[in-house]
Amino acid sequence: MTHTLHRRGTKESLRTDYIVFGITAQQFNGKDSAQVLKKFFDIVSPLHPTNMGDMRQGGMLTVADLPAGVQDNSIVHAVFNDLETLEEAVRRLKTADLGISIVVSSLCDDVAELAKRNNVKLHTQEVSLGIHGNLKKLPAEEFLHVTTQCGHGLIAANLVKSMVEKVKNGKITPRKASEEICKQCSCGVGNINRTEALLKDMAGIA
Amino acid sequence: MLVMDTCIGCGLCVPYCPMNAIEVKDRKAVIDLDECVECGVCLKAKVCPKDALKNDETYTEARLLRKTFSDPWVTHKSTNVLGRGTEEMKTNDVTNRFGKGVCGIAVELGRPGTGTRFYDVEKVAKACAASNVEFEPYNPVTSLMTNVKTGEMNKEFINEKALSAIVEFICPNDKVVQVLKDIKKVSAELDTVFSLDICCMAEDDGSFPMYAMIKEAGFTSSLNGKTNIGMGRMQLKF
Repeated sequence: MTHTLHRRGTKESLRTDYIVFGITAQQFNGKDSAQVLKKFFDIVSPLHPTNMGDMRQGGMLTVADLPAGVQDNSIVHAVFNDLETLEEAVRRLKTADLGISIVVSSLCDDVAELAKRNNVKLHTQEVSLGIHGNLKKLPAEEFLHVTTQCGHGLIAANLVKSMVEKVKNGKITPRKASEEICKQCSCGVGNINRTEALLKDMAGIA
Repeated sequence: MLVMDTCIGCGLCVPYCPMNAIEVKDRKAVIDLDECVECGVCLKAKVCPKDALKNDETYTEARLLRKTFSDPWVTHKSTNVLGRGTEEMKTNDVTNRFGKGVCGIAVELGRPGTGTRFYDVEKVAKACAASNVEFEPYNPVTSLMTNVKTGEMNKEFINEKALSAIVEFICPNDKVVQVLKDIKKVSAELDTVFSLDICCMAEDDGSFPMYAMIKEAGFTSSLNGKTNIGMGRMQLKF
């Protein structure tokens, strides 16, 4: 039980990071689910997520046509930068009533308010209790704000450090650097806009 | 992971390694195979101008184990889920895996960014097993246990390293505080770090009982979290 709930950052920065997932339970309702998971993409795509992906294919930075390749029992998702758009996605998914499980990754207060406004009953909640153990091994906290966006741990702190230096030296734009970093996340759940903003902060660019 | 003779030592692959296991020596990239977890990030980044990085097609069982726990594109035979995770609470509205009266707890060792040896995984598993928790059967770590009552793991792989490994279990509410305290205690004995999380189902009034337990155990929960909003059901709408 892991993944996006372990994202780190300031409250202000996390307020630009909202994810909605669609998933089926393989032993219960996963059979022939690809066509339903495709509908998830059809619903969220018009809302222009900053990233979108599928754990069996990758994200929109690396896969041209995500809906066409979706398979049974995958996990699909879309990443948004504001609560209003996430809420619209939830409203549309509620109306579509696909029967797949929908999971929102966000500030807990925000999802509680969203639920009240839209007559949605929260079913199960999961929260992080932080990082423990030999903390001397961790990179600087500012790098963790980027690396923890990949739940599988595929974004290296050294890559973030390297990209910050390149941005500082004008060798790459913050946008391109963000895309290169987010491409390493194999599911495509990295928040491209948020990462760009974090890189700008670290590089001292207004 | 192998470096072929075509490597020119440009070093472009070096920062991509999440385990910092690549360095350039004598104009060649060298991978420290004891630190490499076979995640394949260096290869998939496609930054090598000479196509000099290759998967080793003759993986031993131990190297394959590293890959299973580190490369999300590999499906573990015990879970049929890509990567090292499970469906966990994401489908709880359909599976009722975490019903009322229990919490789900996950200790992800090696996260974020440090990697873990399985001897550290075993230390945590044993600490949790002391409270007779029910380890998640569809989790690759559980499949490596030789005794799910004690948390003891297969000694053949105990020194192997993975990007991360998740000790995941169900715990009755009356044991949650003690288990969390035991996890905090064992954290001082580890070479690595872990990310800890907990989940539970909402009560009829919409509250989540885990928050009182978290406080009693001396932990602080994150501001953000994952919430299953209850739209799943047995029959999909095709």
